[in-house]
Amino acid sequence: MSKAMHARLWLPALLAMMLLLAACSNSANNPPADPPANNDSNTEAPSNTPEKEANEDGLFSIEDFNQIKTNQGDEIDGGTLNVGLVSDTPFAGTLNFNFYSSAPDSEVLTWMDEPMLTWDASYVYTNDGAATYEISEDGRTFTFTIRDNVNWQDGTPVTAEDWLFAHEVIGHPDYDGPRYDGSMINVEGMAEYHDGTADTISGIEVVSDKQLRITYIEATPSLVTGGIWAYPMAKHIFKDIPVAEMSASAAVRQNPIGFGPYKVESIVPGESVVYVKNPDYWRGEPKLDKVVLRVINPSNVVQEIRTGGVDVVGSFPVDQFPDNANLSNVEWLGAVDRAYTYMGFKLGTWDAEGNKVVPNPDAKMGDVNLRKAMWMAVDNDTVGKQFYKGLRWNATTLIPPSHPEYHDADNPGVAYDPEAAKQLLEEAGYKLNGEFRTKPDGSELVINFISMTGSEIAEPLSRYYVQAWKEIGLNVQLEMIEFNAFYERVGSTGKDDTNVDVYQAAWTVGIDVDPAGLYGRDALYNFSRYASDENDRLLKEGLSEQAFDKEYRLKVYKEWQELMVQEVPVFPTLYRASLVPVNNRVLNYYIGDGTNMFPYNVALSQDKAIVAN
Amino acid sequence: MPEPTAREMTKGEPPLPAGLPLMEKSPPGLIILWREIVRDKLALASLVFVLLITSAVYITSFVLDQAQVVRVDLFALNKPPSSDHWLGTDYGGRDIFGQLIIGTRNSLTIAFLVTALTGLIGITVGVVSGYFGGMIDNFFMRVVDFFLILPFLMIVIAFIAVVPKYSIYSFTLIMTAFLWMGIARLIRSKALQERELDYVKASRTMGSSHAAIIFKQIMPNLSSIIIVTMTLNLAANIGLESGLSFLGFGFPEDTPSLGTLVSYARNAQTLESRPWIWLPASALILVLMLSINNVGQALKRAADARQRRG
Repeated sequence: MSKAMHARLWLPALLAMMLLLAACSNSANNPPADPPANNDSNTEAPSNTPEKEANEDGLFSIEDFNQIKTNQGDEIDGGTLNVGLVSDTPFAGTLNFNFYSSAPDSEVLTWMDEPMLTWDASYVYTNDGAATYEISEDGRTFTFTIRDNVNWQDGTPVTAEDWLFAHEVIGHPDYDGPRYDGSMINVEGMAEYHDGTADTISGIEVVSDKQLRITYIEATPSLVTGGIWAYPMAKHIFKDIPVAEMSASAAVRQNPIGFGPYKVESIVPGESVVYVKNPDYWRGEPKLDKVVLRVINPSNVVQEIRTGGVDVVGSFPVDQFPDNANLSNVEWLGAVDRAYTYMGFKLGTWDAEGNKVVPNPDAKMGDVNLRKAMWMAVDNDTVGKQFYKGLRWNATTLIPPSHPEYHDADNPGVAYDPEAAKQLLEEAGYKLNGEFRTKPDGSELVINFISMTGSEIAEPLSRYYVQAWKEIGLNVQLEMIEFNAFYERVGSTGKDDTNVDVYQAAWTVGIDVDPAGLYGRDALYNFSRYASDENDRLLKEGLSEQAFDKEYRLKVYKEWQELMVQEVPVFPTLYRASLVPVNNRVLNYYIGDGTNMFPYNVALSQDKAIVAN
Repeated sequence: MPEPTAREMTKGEPPLPAGLPLMEKSPPGLIILWREIVRDKLALASLVFVLLITSAVYITSFVLDQAQVVRVDLFALNKPPSSDHWLGTDYGGRDIFGQLIIGTRNSLTIAFLVTALTGLIGITVGVVSGYFGGMIDNFFMRVVDFFLILPFLMIVIAFIAVVPKYSIYSFTLIMTAFLWMGIARLIRSKALQERELDYVKASRTMGSSHAAIIFKQIMPNLSSIIIVTMTLNLAANIGLESGLSFLGFGFPEDTPSLGTLVSYARNAQTLESRPWIWLPASALILVLMLSINNVGQALKRAADARQRRG
């Protein structure tokens, strides 16, 4: 389920090859559907379970999939929906939008909480959400009005105070979550508040109980596409907890609260969550009585779906799809995922004091020719076709096709060409000495590569890359690491493991195209620790006032994509489709953005899940 | 006094009651073991089978190139058996037959090494503490107790997570560290009995050194029990590696092993529709363990005169 707006930022979907957020989008190609397509009556035709057919090469195409489920049968009252969270590790359990950082946690959150603002297929905020907004003439001041019937699940109204409180917590020096970043600093007075020179945030004004006014330092085009922090925090619950202890408190871990359609009844940490409906939900009474979410290991997920053990999963391991394309009891929904897999090169370290990247010019991977040769050496086109049957495909630039306007389809990236790679290395001074190449100074070159476990094919895929690099004479040592430990070593806490040279990871990106949160000089999530003046300039230009002119912004991000292809601090390997099987008894289900559908409307057509033939 | 009679009988001198056949000199332990196996047709067949498989696997794997076998081939994922790949390929396009051969070799090597090392440590500790008794015995037995209370599986799993380069040898060592105690206990109890016997005392009185008594006199008397335990342990140790690999704590995929092949069956799809990946390895584990166990059981009978068949 995916109506959650995963922060306005590029979110670290700390994800394994397949542990991907359900969130995804098919954006502009798919106009938003009309409100909940409740067309039960005329949908008994066989076309209801469209069989997904591979073409003659055995390949599938994401274009054959719908984002919205075709309904079958009539709605029943209530019922329990079983949701699977596909993961081979427990979910972290940081259940508050102001603190969470992992994709599995956001899957848990989508059922119980939501942002104040919703957005349309092109990711621009709409006025359909729990709050509406107005922009001042100069584009810097936003006035938000919260709807009257928006209440926390304990009955207390959601107020402007709560929204201000969220900003105060994130800006607090003791805050330990990942949300204090560039766009937060863009709130007027936020930096002063963070430094302790001001007691309040001067740019935020509580006009009335339900009205909040926020002034931003710079009007940027990304403000209305995710630049606003739209997750209030229940002040009446959190006000007595010191900020440093909030993320570990019971109010986040055991009794989380939101204003979404379902409230948490019980939690088994890391394993399962039981939700009951929140009858006072502002959009209307949810249709289900209960939602039960539990973690399912990727190796059991097909079995669970086939037997009706779960009705839907947040995300499905795409590599297992081709074998199950014709399951009789589910319909497959699909969308281009707002995500990509990439290979990162460690080029520096993180300065925790100064909160910035410190590039190391002498890094082992410091030579751009070496990095580019490694990109040339891998055949991602074949990987996508063979391992994923076309449901992941060769990636070219760092802005994925889920943002069709900004994704530069004319930029070919770097093509697979092992011979050219060898030549490039030869010219750059990496000479063959026996089986492997040495550094230009003649010393031994051993590249340490880490990759995460989690999907069925994670290991053969990583081994394929090692093999491809060996072909061009590079000695790459692979280590497979469990997901949480993996990100810790890559640098999610700022303590980078200096033994890592190359890593394979993935990002789910935010709805705004601005990549500064992942590649900026002051971004913790800039795991490759790359920084350059040109990069700084382009990222800044992309958010400048001039960038309100879309043509200009397009040009800037096109240049940025080209810069990344030239500099190769990381290189994208695969773009991805997200696929979700939905049991035929589920009604009004959807995935992706811009469908104009909401979780509270999801319903069932019979008591028991349908089992596959 | 029953003893003198017994002694004389073993010497084969005949103050025997009339009607009983003449006793010949009792054959040495190894011959008894061998005879028992030959008499038990199942055990003999098992032994031949184990030897055949072992030699076949070690010889073939000499010819096979491991790097080639574990090479990921994008164009041959999950292929059923064919003339190119006798037993098909796995989800990385790697040849199952090659993996089976090298995997069996790796698994057997581990089993042999672990058995040999645990045997070495266990027997040494057992004999020394049993023979000397007293403080030494007390000390060693407390060490054994200490190792026994450690949560074996948890430590092995933690160890696997910590060791960066996880190889057959590091695996063997960590296994050995936790598996020698059983043998040590068993041998100690036998050695305790043995040292009370007159021949030990006599030898001591005649001035033999402790080392000579232990190695030349006590050890030969324990040989049959040592051989039996080691054989049965060997069967168990083959399962050990497979079990851990199945749980996901086995070797990385560039080191094929029987357990890794079986663990592919954790995927429902593989289990149901691609039996060529896991079936041969599973069958081989089963047959190998049964065979070694058959041999071990025969040896066990041989070591106990009351159960002997021949």
